[in-house]
Amino acid sequence: MSERAAPRRLRLPIAAHEAVLLTILIAALAVLATLTDRFFTLDNLLNQGMLMTEVGLIAMPMTFIIVTGGIDLSVGSSLGMCAILLGYSWHNWGFPLPLAIGFALLCGAAGGFVNGWFITRLKVPPLIMTIGTLALYRGLAEGISQAHSVRGYPDWFYGLGQGALFGVPSQLWILGVAIIIFGVILARTTIGRSLYAMGYNETASRFSGLSVDRIKLGIYTASGLMAGLAAWIFVSRVSTTRSDMGSGVELDVIAAVVLGGTSIFGGTGTIAGSVLGLVLIQLLKDGLALTGVKGDATIMVIGTVLILSILITSFAERRRDVARMARPPLRQTATDQTATKQGGTP
Amino acid sequence: MAVPQPVLAEQASPMRAAAPPVLALDGITKSFPGVQALKGVSFEVAPGEVHALLGENGAGKSTLIKIMSGVHQADSGTLAMHGRPLRLASPHAARQAGIATIYQELLLFPELSVAENLFMGHAPRRRFGGLDWRALRVRARALLDSLDIHDLDIDGAVGTLSVGNRQRVEILRALSQDASVLIMDEPTAALTEHDVVRLFGIVRKLRARGVSIVYISHRLEEIFQLADRVTVLRDGEHVATKTVSQTDTADLIQMMVGRRIDSLFPKITVPIGKPMLELRGLARPPVSRPVSLSVHAGEIVGLAGLVGSGRSELAQAIFGVTPATAGTMLIDGVAARVGSVAEARRLGIAYVPEDRGTQGLVRPMTVRENASLAVLSDLARFGFIDRAAEARLARETVARFGVRTAGIEQIVGKLSGGNQQKIVLGKWLAANPRVLILDEPTRGIDVGAKAEIHRLMGELAGRGMAVLMISSELPEVLGMSDRVLVMREGGIVAAFSRAEATQERVAGAMMGGGGTPG
Repeated sequence: MSERAAPRRLRLPIAAHEAVLLTILIAALAVLATLTDRFFTLDNLLNQGMLMTEVGLIAMPMTFIIVTGGIDLSVGSSLGMCAILLGYSWHNWGFPLPLAIGFALLCGAAGGFVNGWFITRLKVPPLIMTIGTLALYRGLAEGISQAHSVRGYPDWFYGLGQGALFGVPSQLWILGVAIIIFGVILARTTIGRSLYAMGYNETASRFSGLSVDRIKLGIYTASGLMAGLAAWIFVSRVSTTRSDMGSGVELDVIAAVVLGGTSIFGGTGTIAGSVLGLVLIQLLKDGLALTGVKGDATIMVIGTVLILSILITSFAERRRDVARMARPPLRQTATDQTATKQGGTP
Repeated sequence: MAVPQPVLAEQASPMRAAAPPVLALDGITKSFPGVQALKGVSFEVAPGEVHALLGENGAGKSTLIKIMSGVHQADSGTLAMHGRPLRLASPHAARQAGIATIYQELLLFPELSVAENLFMGHAPRRRFGGLDWRALRVRARALLDSLDIHDLDIDGAVGTLSVGNRQRVEILRALSQDASVLIMDEPTAALTEHDVVRLFGIVRKLRARGVSIVYISHRLEEIFQLADRVTVLRDGEHVATKTVSQTDTADLIQMMVGRRIDSLFPKITVPIGKPMLELRGLARPPVSRPVSLSVHAGEIVGLAGLVGSGRSELAQAIFGVTPATAGTMLIDGVAARVGSVAEARRLGIAYVPEDRGTQGLVRPMTVRENASLAVLSDLARFGFIDRAAEARLARETVARFGVRTAGIEQIVGKLSGGNQQKIVLGKWLAANPRVLILDEPTRGIDVGAKAEIHRLMGELAGRGMAVLMISSELPEVLGMSDRVLVMREGGIVAAFSRAEATQERVAGAMMGGGGTPG
């Protein structure tokens, strides 16, 4: 009885969550493809890829931030602020367009740096700090633009948002490169390891000599920079600049990251998971719209999928823990007892 | 072959033939992934005895008490209570059966009153289901009186009580549920001397009432003061059960570690070299007072003092966690400014912190990831971690310190305290420090692991490392140190050479009595 070794599971819970996501994704693809013939076409899928690029780019540093147990709610407003700065510095202040783009990216990074500085130096909780800058950056965008939009960019500017390279939309190449860079950093480098360690136990990370504050400053700055990059792509894609651009993007980003298995409490999460979460949400949105589901219902479906995927994973984990705790209960007690009686009879 | 149980019991211990054991475990095995925690352990608790359970961390004590308290279920083997077979499917079932467990972390509701805590879950009720507050208070009072406890306010919030008092509440809570077996897991670990005396009084009263107590402690002297019998476990196996009067400390330690430890504190005499760490008026005004001291190569300097005397704060100032803002520090004779832990590490300073769980380790991470955490940048090229080198380091750490683990991919939080401490030490020794600061290096770990860490400290000093050891355990300070410094209220108040340092002098200086100002 005691020799019978328990089956050993060495699978990581993260990998398990990604498997759950992949299964849901394939199932969703299959169902949506049968419901409408306009969904599973190369054109449509590439078009969806284009639409999710901005959220995807911001989801990369957001994964890092959530892995450390932080959050950045200001990304949508940063996007709006960068878009306005790009348009206004070119149109109203007379910056050459390449300089205007650089300026917008720089301002995005600066906005992220401000978040990081307050969070690390003054120990403001990330949630509070970035709710503050969520309002502040949006206010700046509206104040600068005075509700005017900027149009009429030169043709070359639209190459990024509307052009294609080897048949694939330009911005998808950028997203692809970002996924690889962020993925490798998280999985292979000392920074990635530090992020996980900080997420699980920041004190022990400090006591181990990790540059906790510098890394945090870096990831919030990266978050702002990627919001700036997303702003550039956004403006190029929709051909105009408005101050309400990127409203609510932070929620799409966080939903994708959390759906991807990154724990909001820190310590776990992968870039692969975030990408799966991102793709799943985008395809569900599109597929449901194509099958004639109204917008409100689509949001409800996405919310339900988010909750379900988390539930399935935590349920599976709990089952595994229970299985580990409770080995076969004392089944043989009864038989032993009988044996004892029989032994005692003669 | 099945043997009739009663007959066997009679042969084994004729003196208890009349009274069958309150609780009997027979042939218990239990395995967890990668670890066989218990291998056919049998254990009996007689009515009204204090039965001590001894063993190193990882010997299987915790698993055994978790099986008795229904947290785990055995893979095989039987439990019996008063001679009747017993199945404990849950902690609730164990409490119903009259087995109560008092864990190291007390499970009380800090906002509720003493009386409410005592009857949580089984409070007296009135006809319509409302709580009968009057009966609740009367019964709480009676319960306290029955153990001659008159200094506890039954209406006071539990959160405002001292650890010792909270523990008494927890014991009373167990009694309020008519426990006939009380399991106490290291009850004195966090208690003051005075509370320990009071606890012993309560344990003796309970025994006189016929309650059986399973008592787990690492402090051997307590076992001789309190216990009737002692059972020793080692590596998941039952080594022996003896009557306490027929054994002694050396005997018990030998049974626990499987070898005889002649001296608990093997200080090797090594040549003392040049000053490796020198502080001149180091301070963080207005938080701390200026401190001057020196630790030489090959020297172990013990830093004694009460909890809160500023020892850990000093260590963390040296180590750059909370950098000092005044005074100077010299490492190997060179003035050094330490603004961060990373800088301290580069200068060759290592600090093994007091609190393993929050400061020393990232518990949810693996042995491999923890072993490499302090030297991560050395294991990386262009920021990429060399995974082969990392695994090699982890395996070396495990082998060098004899860490008991299923492998380097084991989660550190699942290791026993002593093994966790070895990982913390290993993690910092991987950085090849010149100055090693140890903060309570053996707190809460068993005798065997303790002796190993002491041996290691001697060895490290022998290789020319300067060791500064903070410890609240006087025998450890006196046994290991070449010199003893005493801190009080943030400053160093006395210094003793190894020859001068006696228990009385050091303790006196700690409390604010005599001693030569250092």
